[in-house]
Amino acid sequence: MLEQRELAGVGEARRLVLPARAGARGRARAREGAAGLGAWAAALAVAGLLGWLVGEIAAGGAPALSWSLLAEAPADAGRAGGILPILVSTLLLVGVCLSVALPLGLGAAVWLAELAAAGGRRGRWVRASLDALAGVPSIVMGLFGSALFCRTLGLGYSILAGGLTLACMALPIAVRAAEQGLREAAGELRRAAAALGLGRAATLLHVLLPAAAPALLVGVVLGIGRAAAETAALLFTSGYVDRMPGSLLDSGRSLSIHIYDLAMHVPGGNHRAYASALVLLAVLLCLNALAGWMADRWLARAHARC
Amino acid sequence: MGSRGWKAGALLAVLAGAVALGAHGGRCRGAGAGARLVATGSSTLAPLMAEIGKRFEAHHPGVRVDVQAGGSSRGVQDVLAGMAGLGLVSRPLLGAEAAQLRAFALARDGIALIAHATNPLPGLSTPQVRAIFRGQLTRWEQLGGRPGPITVVSKAAGRGTLLVFLEHFGLQAAEIRAQALVGDNEHGVKTVAANPGAIGYVSIGTAAADVRRGVPIKLLALDGVVPSAEQIAAGRYPLVRPLLLVTRGEPGGLVRELLDFARAEGVDDLVRTQGFVPLER
Repeated sequence: MLEQRELAGVGEARRLVLPARAGARGRARAREGAAGLGAWAAALAVAGLLGWLVGEIAAGGAPALSWSLLAEAPADAGRAGGILPILVSTLLLVGVCLSVALPLGLGAAVWLAELAAAGGRRGRWVRASLDALAGVPSIVMGLFGSALFCRTLGLGYSILAGGLTLACMALPIAVRAAEQGLREAAGELRRAAAALGLGRAATLLHVLLPAAAPALLVGVVLGIGRAAAETAALLFTSGYVDRMPGSLLDSGRSLSIHIYDLAMHVPGGNHRAYASALVLLAVLLCLNALAGWMADRWLARAHARC
Repeated sequence: MGSRGWKAGALLAVLAGAVALGAHGGRCRGAGAGARLVATGSSTLAPLMAEIGKRFEAHHPGVRVDVQAGGSSRGVQDVLAGMAGLGLVSRPLLGAEAAQLRAFALARDGIALIAHATNPLPGLSTPQVRAIFRGQLTRWEQLGGRPGPITVVSKAAGRGTLLVFLEHFGLQAAEIRAQALVGDNEHGVKTVAANPGAIGYVSIGTAAADVRRGVPIKLLALDGVVPSAEQIAAGRYPLVRPLLLVTRGEPGGLVRELLDFARAEGVDDLVRTQGFVPLER
């Protein structure tokens, strides 16, 4: 098996190894074995870390987990009652973030991958500003969002302001993932489409976007992850109110802020914090699974039609 | 454009519609009968104020009390900027602030020195505390305790608790020699609970509640007085800070009503459950 892979994949290396002595080859193989073992151990450690984390949160949160936790409003600063309004606020925040970041991000990615001149100055400039945006600490984003959306645009502490701030944070991730997907999908497919006489827009819509869908999905999932896990940026924008939001202009507490508040400011809130963290993990996994399912369906449709 | 394009377009339209509707709904309500009071500031005070707000809402249908946390200084700024009607401040007002704001006591909170539960020392004197936090005493055996280094846990700059602590012990922020800096009360408790040689200072309410729940910390007596709500109420424990509500100018209307409601006996039970000491009336 190893021999085959060596033959098939590492042709270059083999050509270099061949003239050397047999002993050197054996040593190289041993080194390869050690490297493989190391990689395997690293993978195991990563998986173990996740298992430990989930186990720790599950053990801490299980005593407080119940249906009423999901169905009631919080009471006694979060020590009693549930987290329903907080769950709703979190989903609304993610919804606002995605409905702004997705179209904008996809548009920017299409421009970068398809329309901007390769290696051109404008493309480079946009990419550099996206990377800078991706590196901005979330607390700075929070202050920016608070100044722009809450004060200047007059949205106050609101889910809308929080969602828009999150969109600013998710945007660079979404754009870079989508651009990567479009570029990888390009090449042969693009030439084939051109050979068939498809126009630029038709190629993009019917060939490139479906082919890039998995990468777009990765962007969406990463964006959701960043949005739903955010604390610092939301403290100043969507705020701290744990009431059921009546509209997007109401302040709403996200799950992550609820966890932070319970763990840091509410004596006796630890179990509830763990339980909320468990719910947050479950929500994230569900959103990811949903995104995967939707992409699969759309992909299947696209292929069926072709 | 294929049916997929249509669907994507429709989805976007629905989302945009939802956003617009939400925004519109919010505007209408803001302009209508429902009044909204905003209180922002100290994260120590925010959970208490949120509970008081809920009770106030129950007595005043149509009124919403929105509480936002973010630190005492933010409460001061938001009130001065007109972003909030009430500021939550868990430290005395600084010189310039006192001139611009009206302050009303909501409750009192003591600050307790805490150590790990296995620490045999029952308490410390004011000079000892000063020497420890200045880095002049660095080992527990110098105080007659179990041999080992002292890990000093202090609060990060800008925290209300830090200012009150410095003020009481006559220390400068630059003099403090700390091995660990913490933000919130629970953060301080968790740090000390995890370190048998640590000493820190946090809100008494927080510390006492954590001791009841079995967290391995102990409250150290200061100059022979054990920190507790009773000792604060009796005026014997010296390290106390005010929990304040601040307004810009003389409050009126609903803000006045909420202020009076929050300072009345009707919410003393809420003050106690959050670990603070009600006002003397």
